[in-house]
Order: sequence, then structure tokens, then C-alpha cells
Amino acid sequence: MQIFSTFEDTGYLELAISLLEEKGINKENIFAVPLDNRQADRKIFDTLHRSDGISLVDLAMALATAFSVICASIGFILSWGPIYWGLIGASIGFVLGLAIKLFIIKVVKKQPNQLHGQKSEVILIIDCDATKAELIEEILWDHLAIGVAKIVNK
Amino acid sequence: MENYTNNNTARRYKAQVSILGTTQLHLRNPYIIGWWSAAFPGFGHLLLSKYLRGFVLFIWEVVINLQAHVNQAMIYSFQGKIGMAKEVLDTRWLLIYIPVYLFGIWDSYRTTVDMNQVYLLAKRENHRYNTFSLGAMEINYLDKRKPSTSVIWTIFMPGLGQLYNHRIITALFIIVWSVIFFYKSCVLEAVSMLFLGQVHQATNVLNAEWLLFLPSIHIFSIYDSLVSTVENNKLFEDELRNFLKMNYQHASFVIQKGKKVK
Repeated sequence: MQIFSTFEDTGYLELAISLLEEKGINKENIFAVPLDNRQADRKIFDTLHRSDGISLVDLAMALATAFSVICASIGFILSWGPIYWGLIGASIGFVLGLAIKLFIIKVVKKQPNQLHGQKSEVILIIDCDATKAELIEEILWDHLAIGVAKIVNK
Repeated sequence: MENYTNNNTARRYKAQVSILGTTQLHLRNPYIIGWWSAAFPGFGHLLLSKYLRGFVLFIWEVVINLQAHVNQAMIYSFQGKIGMAKEVLDTRWLLIYIPVYLFGIWDSYRTTVDMNQVYLLAKRENHRYNTFSLGAMEINYLDKRKPSTSVIWTIFMPGLGQLYNHRIITALFIIVWSVIFFYKSCVLEAVSMLFLGQVHQATNVLNAEWLLFLPSIHIFSIYDSLVSTVENNKLFEDELRNFLKMNYQHASFVIQKGKKVK
């Protein structure tokens, strides 16, 4: 019997594997396939890939700093004072930077749609006796498997 | 104790997990790094994990900027009082400020371009590196952390996100300097006055020169903690995938055909 399952790349996956080995499954009977998720190739002079959240906010953070410093300076002679104006400047800079970046991503460099939410990142296949199937299935579910299926060959 | 003893046989390594923190090469946008050096000399280098020269440039900035009154001149300039800006600048210090400021921007820019190439080569070489470090004073290993958690803690206090990411040296440096900036700028006093609605008194209590350092260091530490959380997570995934490929793809394993059962 073989049990197929998918996982995200987390520490739970390794915990599951080590528990399976402790329960008597041999290393040779565990087969793991790390999947490549769909994403554009990284380019050396480009920013980081947008899905990682950094490139999305890098311009926003940079502009937030600039606007915050400028608005705080001017704030000394405005009625609300430098702290409020500094915070307002930071927010304006952040929103502006994010808007520019989103415009670039959504309009200028449009990329094919990506899946959102939970991604299957590893396929794990375990070869075992039918008697152990219940136990293994339970271990996989307990360690946050995304999906599990048991296959019996006839 | 470490889980890998490096014998220096690789041409390049992409990461190192040590007691004091996780250091890694990863791709960065040279313009963004250059920008952070413009916001505050040293920040670009800190993002690149070139800590010593980052610290040197940072301390240089604080000392020389305050002596030359660059921040005060910036405040007057932004307010349109160009005459007062000229007045306040101390020419005994100003001229040495400029070349080092520009050097910081240029050097971090070109280092980023270089290190991106080094990263690509190290990634292709994919040599093993240490991923676990257990010592008498600290424990460091790769794991997954939440970028949002790291950002939220850093918003409350610069340096906490760095602690969350186990970057002890950066955390210490940022915490010490933030405390100095918070104290010298009197910003916390002003904030409590603002809570009481005393806007005018709040403005008066502030020390403008010191205040101007705060937005940079605060937003920088938020950005830095976000970047290192995301990149640490990627490193964790990468290491786990390598581990799976090395250990759980035995040649004798055969995938069977059959029927799915409940």
C-alpha cells in the first residue's frame, strides 16, 4: 500500500517524517518530492519576486522615510507640530509608494495569475503495510498535511 | 555545537547560522539599498550584513551631522528658510560630511550589484552550510517566522523584530541608538503631551536635530526585520528541500499503480 500526501514547507513535515521513522517506516520507503511553485525566474538587476512581500513595500518604506523627514521638518512651523506631520508624511509616502508599485505590477509588468492561499509544496509518498495505514494517515493529518490519499495495488 | 563543520572546500557559501545570528546572501535591489544609505549612512551596509562598516558610517553620520548641523539646515530648508539654513551650517565640519555621505551611497550600491552575483554563484554551487548552532549563551537554527509579527514588534520598538529574527548584533545596535534618539529628541514627552491635547507645548519640547534621526531608524528597522524574516523563511525552505532530496529519494522506491481507497 502507498499513502500519498501533500505538505507545505514547514517544520511539521520533518517532524512527521521523523515520527514515521520512529514508528518503523524505513527511510527507503519514504519518497519526498519538493514541488517548484509557479513563479518568474529571478533576475539579477530586478527586485525580489513580488510574492514575497518585500519588493511590494520597498519603495513604500523608502518614500515613507523621505516624506516623514520632510513633513516633520515643516511641521515645526505648522499648528499640528512635527510628530503629527511626521506620521502623516510617513503614511502619505507609504501609500504613494505602494500605489506606484502596485501600478507597476498590475499594469506595466502584468504576470500570469498565481494561486493564492495555501500551496502544496511537497509531495510525500509512503510505502507501507496495510496494517500500518491507519496510524500513518493519522500522523500525516496531525502534522498538517494538506491532502492524504491511500492507494492499494491489486 | 554545530551540525556541519565547514572545511572551506566550497568556493562560495550562501548562508551561515551562528550563535549571533543568521547571515545570508540573497538578491537585493541596488537602488533600494542605495536609497537606505541616502536616508542614513550605514543602513545600506547593515541590510547587506556588512555590519562593521555599517556601524562606522552610522556613528560618523550621528557625530558629524550634529556637529555640522546638517539636520537643522535640512529643517530650515524644507521650511523655505534658506538664509537660516546657510547660517546654521558649520563650515568647520560640513565639507568632510559630504564625501563620506556620498561614499556610503555609492559603496552600498556597488556592493549590492557585486553580492547579487556572488549570491547567484553560491546558489548554483549549493554547498552545504551550517544550519544549527547551540552554545552556552544562545541557540540559533533555521525556522519559519511570521513577517507580520516581526513588523508589529518593530513598530512598537525598533530592534525587537531583529531580536525575533535572532540578529543579536543589529538588535543591540538599533535598540541602543533608538533609546539615545528617543531620549535626546524628547519625542516621548511630546507624545504624552499630544495625548493630552497640548500640541503647542509638544512642539516646543522637541529637539529638532535629534528628532530628524527617528523616522529613518524606525522605518529602517521595520524594513530590515521584514526583509530578514522573509529571507530566513526562504532559507529554511531551501534547506528543507535539499534535505528531503538528499535523504528521501531512494533509487529503489517504486510508485505503484492501484486504486484509491477510503
